Amino acid sequence: MPASNTVKIFQQLVFWLLLISSAASAETFSIESAQVSPIGNGRVLNAKIEYPLTLRVREALSNGVPITFYQQFKLISSIPLLGKYWQWEESLWTTEIRYKLRYHALTEQYILVALDTRHHRSFSSLDAALNALGLIENLSLPPEHLNKPENLRLELRSGLDLNALPTPMRPGALISRKWQLTSPWAIAQWL
Amino acid sequence: MAIKLIHRMMSGGTPYYSLGILLLALSYLLSVATQDTSALNELFMIILGVSIISLLLLMILLARNLIRLYRDVKAHKEGSRLTIRLVSLFALLILVSTSIVYSFSIHFLHRGIDSWFDVKVEEALNNSLELSRSALNIRTRTLLRQTRMMSGLLSELPESDINHNIRELTQLSGAIEMSLWSIDGQLIATSIENPALIIPMSPDVTILNQLTANKDYIGLDPDDNDKLQLRAAVRLPSKDSLQVGRFLQVVFAVDEHLSSLGHTVQNAYTEYKELNYLRKPLISIFTLTLSLIVLLTLLASIWFAIWISRRIVQPLQELASATHAVASGNFNTQLAASGHDEIGFLVRSFNQMTQRLTQARNATQNSHRQLERQTDYLTTVLGSLSSGVITLDDNHILQTTNLTSSKILNIDLTPYLEKHLDLLNSASPQLSSFSRLLIQQNSGDKEWQQQIELQQKKGLQTLMCRGTPLPNNTGWVIVFDDVTTLLQAQRNAAWGEVAKRLAHEIKNPLTPIQLSAERLQHKYSPIVPPDQAHTLNKLTNTIVKQVEAMKEMVNDFSDYARNPGLQLQSISIGSFLREILTLYQSNPNHSITLSNNPDKIKVNIDSNRFRQVLHNLLKNSIEASEDAGLNVDIILGYHHLSLDKHHYLEITLLDHGPGIPTDMVNTLFEPYATNKVKGTGLGLAIVKKIIEEHHGQVWAENKEPNGACTIIRIPLEETTD
Repeated sequence: MPASNTVKIFQQLVFWLLLISSAASAETFSIESAQVSPIGNGRVLNAKIEYPLTLRVREALSNGVPITFYQQFKLISSIPLLGKYWQWEESLWTTEIRYKLRYHALTEQYILVALDTRHHRSFSSLDAALNALGLIENLSLPPEHLNKPENLRLELRSGLDLNALPTPMRPGALISRKWQLTSPWAIAQWL
Repeated sequence: MAIKLIHRMMSGGTPYYSLGILLLALSYLLSVATQDTSALNELFMIILGVSIISLLLLMILLARNLIRLYRDVKAHKEGSRLTIRLVSLFALLILVSTSIVYSFSIHFLHRGIDSWFDVKVEEALNNSLELSRSALNIRTRTLLRQTRMMSGLLSELPESDINHNIRELTQLSGAIEMSLWSIDGQLIATSIENPALIIPMSPDVTILNQLTANKDYIGLDPDDNDKLQLRAAVRLPSKDSLQVGRFLQVVFAVDEHLSSLGHTVQNAYTEYKELNYLRKPLISIFTLTLSLIVLLTLLASIWFAIWISRRIVQPLQELASATHAVASGNFNTQLAASGHDEIGFLVRSFNQMTQRLTQARNATQNSHRQLERQTDYLTTVLGSLSSGVITLDDNHILQTTNLTSSKILNIDLTPYLEKHLDLLNSASPQLSSFSRLLIQQNSGDKEWQQQIELQQKKGLQTLMCRGTPLPNNTGWVIVFDDVTTLLQAQRNAAWGEVAKRLAHEIKNPLTPIQLSAERLQHKYSPIVPPDQAHTLNKLTNTIVKQVEAMKEMVNDFSDYARNPGLQLQSISIGSFLREILTLYQSNPNHSITLSNNPDKIKVNIDSNRFRQVLHNLLKNSIEASEDAGLNVDIILGYHHLSLDKHHYLEITLLDHGPGIPTDMVNTLFEPYATNKVKGTGLGLAIVKKIIEEHHGQVWAENKEPNGACTIIRIPLEETTD
């Protein structure tokens, strides 16, 4: 019957997608370190993110294609209902910082633009640019949510915004593991 | 739910139109979204996904339709072959035209995109970039020198004057920004021309590394507004090795004209490079879009082809099944008229045809019924006639008969209808003279009438036949009557008259003759000589005996002629017969049996006259058997008989004697029909007369191997149980 065939095909599709996504997780971005430390009344985040770019991404970059990065932060309040096993989780605050990295051929500089602030930095090498991108210093957390620090958890991750790529590249990037570099969610250390 | 939706989508016309519009819209969106500048660009992936899903959905629907079509063809459903032919034709047309357009489009796409790129253009762009760099390099070198001089100057100055001197140096050198840093990246002093900025541009890791390695840095930087600026970082000559190394970073603005030129070159170069890099994905994405649109169009067209073929074929299919129905005799088939095209015209014509057919059939049925009624009427009339009626056509083929004709001819004529007379002839030889007469007489063309005698089992039968030619010489109608009984009655009446006369004329002189003879004997026998007395006695005795015999004969005649009223009384026939038989039990050589019958049949008869009948018959049988030297073995039987809704009593008398001579079978019951030496020959004539007085019939038949059977049939007034 056609219905059961469709179901079978769908199952296979899901299986392959899972396989691809699990294989891709080997070379992703990673959160090296992340700490929330108190400063005065508030708290700030200091983190270091590694951006091991694949050759494909480097190639696109050197050919003038701007690459957009995002860094996502999520402040979660978790109330244990049944010890460690079952917790009531509530997302208190989320934010996203987006950067655009591009190569300036004339000056041979890599230009990193924070898309929210339009702040603009240039680097003479890609590694320097990535280094600067991965360094999060003194990102202040919203003080209204910091009343009960013992139940709070900060999670962060970073990845490439594939939808910001030029249209012709998008379908290829979406299915290619060489573009699937999003880091898993990492929990910041609460100092 | 989904299946329901699919079902609904697959029936009716509206879903097809809406699907067509949807696909058109989808194709348009897809092609628009491919353009980089479009607002729909953001939605490209979603549109692509929707297209692929629609494609899959369409494929499923198409597959379903095709499977259904295949099943229909396999099941030899009406119209399925035409549908599949139309669908294949449509599909072929669509495939051929679409593939031609598709292949040309792909070809032009490749050529079009490839034509954007050119080695010369690329080289020119590279060179212009190089040129821009070279143009900037001259200024760069000057500025580097200037910066080195400034760094040398600063290194000479005391620590406390550095801030002040930097500000002065900035103004003097025309720099935008000047800052003094320690080698580990700590800001020592700064001076910025732009009042909006507080913090100077920090050197990145690469610059710091370069400076640590004692190499000065000079480089171009695009600023926030994409204007170019020059950055130089120079290590300050250190006076003692213990002091932490320091460097001066100076940012100069580049000439505006040069900067904008450089900007243009940079933009063009980057765009070209990006485009070149995106060439392959661009071609694939355009090909993908085009293929999707083509596939969608193709599948939708084939689906539409199936739908339109079904629509075209459906009335034809209905027409075909309706024609089938008409062929199998159902003329009431009416189709729903559809459209004003030729098929609609065909359907209307078909409806008209079936209407006409129905009318014609009804008319035929009516006339047929009328004909049947007439035939029934005629058959009834003919059946109720006492005369036999048959019709023959020119070739002596039997066309019609009535019931009476079968009865008269003593053969069922129905099987011989539509058959030649000769067949009848061979089936029943006794009818040969009858058929011969018909064939002979019918060869003329005039009415004829002739009497004919047939040798039947029951005896000689006299028929009066009349032939009349049918109009237009199409055959003959022959009417015939059984006049045997009529003739018999005439004969009987004549005999009765003769008997009455004879009895009257002969009986009167007989008594004087007898008396005279007795007196002669009495008076003259004593007186004649004894030798002559013997002769006298003998002669007178002869006279007396013969007169006695004559008397007896005359009595018989008078019996025969007498016609007294019947003294009818209801008697049980069984006991009546048994009572008669007791008179015959005395002779041990005679075996006379009565076969028992459980029915108690009562009949109205004149017992005295009937007794005479039985005596005459028994006597006849016994004498016949004895004369032939055979054993007397007589079986008497009686039973009830129903014939044509009339009830009869049938008495049979079966003997095992010599039988009736064939020449006498017909005249057996006529006066003087005897083969016996003695007897008046009136015995059986009287039997017949008495039976006929009882409105009955009597006849005799020969039985195989020997013997004769006499049958008496008397009508019963009412049945008794």
